[in-house]
Amino acid sequence: VRFIGSLRTKQTPPSSPPLPSPVRSTNRLQAATMHGRRHLAASLARTLSQAPSRSISSTPSLLQTLDPTPQSPPLAAPAAGRLAEMRRRLQAETPSLGDFAYSVEVGTRKKPLPKPKWMKETIPGGAKYAAIKAKLRELKLHTVCEEARCPNLGECWSGGETGTATATIMILGDTCTRGCRFCNVKTSRTPPPPDPNEPANVAQAIASWGLEYIVITSVDRDDLPDQGSGHFAETVQRLKTLKPDMLIEALVPDFQGDRSCVEKVATSGLHVFAHNIETVEELQRSVRDHRANFKQSMDVLKMAKEYAPPGTLTKTSVMLGCGETPDQVISTMEKVRAAGVDVITFGQYMRPSKRHMPVSEYITPEAFENYRALGVEMGFRYVASGPMVRSSYKAGEFYIKAMIEDDRAKSGAVADSSC
Amino acid sequence: MCRISVTFVNKDGTEKTISVPVGMSMLEAAHENDIELEGACEGSLACSTCHVIVMDVKDYNKLEDPTDEENDMLDLAFGLTETSRLGCQVIAKPELDGVRLALPAATRNFAVDGFVPKPH
Repeated sequence: VRFIGSLRTKQTPPSSPPLPSPVRSTNRLQAATMHGRRHLAASLARTLSQAPSRSISSTPSLLQTLDPTPQSPPLAAPAAGRLAEMRRRLQAETPSLGDFAYSVEVGTRKKPLPKPKWMKETIPGGAKYAAIKAKLRELKLHTVCEEARCPNLGECWSGGETGTATATIMILGDTCTRGCRFCNVKTSRTPPPPDPNEPANVAQAIASWGLEYIVITSVDRDDLPDQGSGHFAETVQRLKTLKPDMLIEALVPDFQGDRSCVEKVATSGLHVFAHNIETVEELQRSVRDHRANFKQSMDVLKMAKEYAPPGTLTKTSVMLGCGETPDQVISTMEKVRAAGVDVITFGQYMRPSKRHMPVSEYITPEAFENYRALGVEMGFRYVASGPMVRSSYKAGEFYIKAMIEDDRAKSGAVADSSC
Repeated sequence: MCRISVTFVNKDGTEKTISVPVGMSMLEAAHENDIELEGACEGSLACSTCHVIVMDVKDYNKLEDPTDEENDMLDLAFGLTETSRLGCQVIAKPELDGVRLALPAATRNFAVDGFVPKPH
């Protein structure tokens, strides 16, 4: 990841006039959503891959590629010549020529920079927060909200705008067998055995809360014979027995791609089967634990779709700001959609502590919005995208809203045909 | 003596010398002194992010042999050398006074499935 930091500092030309604080500008994303994704993504991916600098795309070159008959840039031009040309253009132009900023540089010890305003979080507090916390301790339950230090904890637990409190319960203990570079959850080769009363406790706790939508997630348990899938499935089933109308989302590990484990969980009665790919295909090895990989995660999502009853949604999430390029994000989105995944969410990676992977860049809310529009265009059922969005952030609201819109569309169609 | 001196050398050559009490792991020592050494799995031998390179082979030989678990994780580390160890497994002892540890250029191998990073 130090690679990425030095990549960026090398770009600034030595004798440049004082530019505003370093931003990555591109209107490629903007153009992609407006003019037709495939054509644009292909031609611009070509340009981007041939450009010597990754971080700056100056406007004249983009305008060329927006031309209906794009000319591929001269392949024979030496890298030094192209770089000099780009520097000249940078000096000549002002940065804001109708493009929006893609991202903002992250401060380091040597070069402290303020965090962007949209990254501020509210400190958790309030009556509902205290009540939920007390209940969790009483029943000896863990939430990933606390374990992973989620920035939305205050908002979700206190109910946010709509007053519906959401919490994501973490089962199978609070210690994971894997060590992913972005995750704050404790790691151990031999975590303590899962509590056999946990499925009953969890089901009872959730039932007594009066929540309409719940997300249940777990740590990885590579140490258990069934990797925890039985425990997981039992929790979901018990909850369904106590509260048949409750909407249940399960955010599951990859079970090392084991078909029987995935089947067990997918058929347990949940409404949304979620498994996070976390990052783009190219950075899987770099960001996630070495036991996780893109193909395995995609297989899990495909298998879940096969086994789960029709109408079950599959969902995945991606963290941006780990060092990926927009190209990689778009190509990963295409692969995910091709695998039949219904929902995708995007959030900004935040470094839990110094022990974890540094943040590569802060992606702007505008860029997040563009990814959302792109996702909708690609055909995802719904896309949640924003710096503070996490896999289960407002999951209930989004799901219900999407279902209502679907129902409206269907009833609208029926009405039309009957006229 | 109950503290030894350890020098961490960054990939750009800058150094930081710290004082480490005997019995503490290099990973803990680095964190206490704000050195950029990741420890994603908190020293449970589940990752390779605390990979350090022992610069002097004499110091390397003073360390106990790595266990099989450590070797398994080391195999995954970026920029592996003959004198690489995981920082969480190197425990400070009086014989290691003055040891120099180099931090690797990156924490993970970027080359996945034949992917070649674009030259910059």
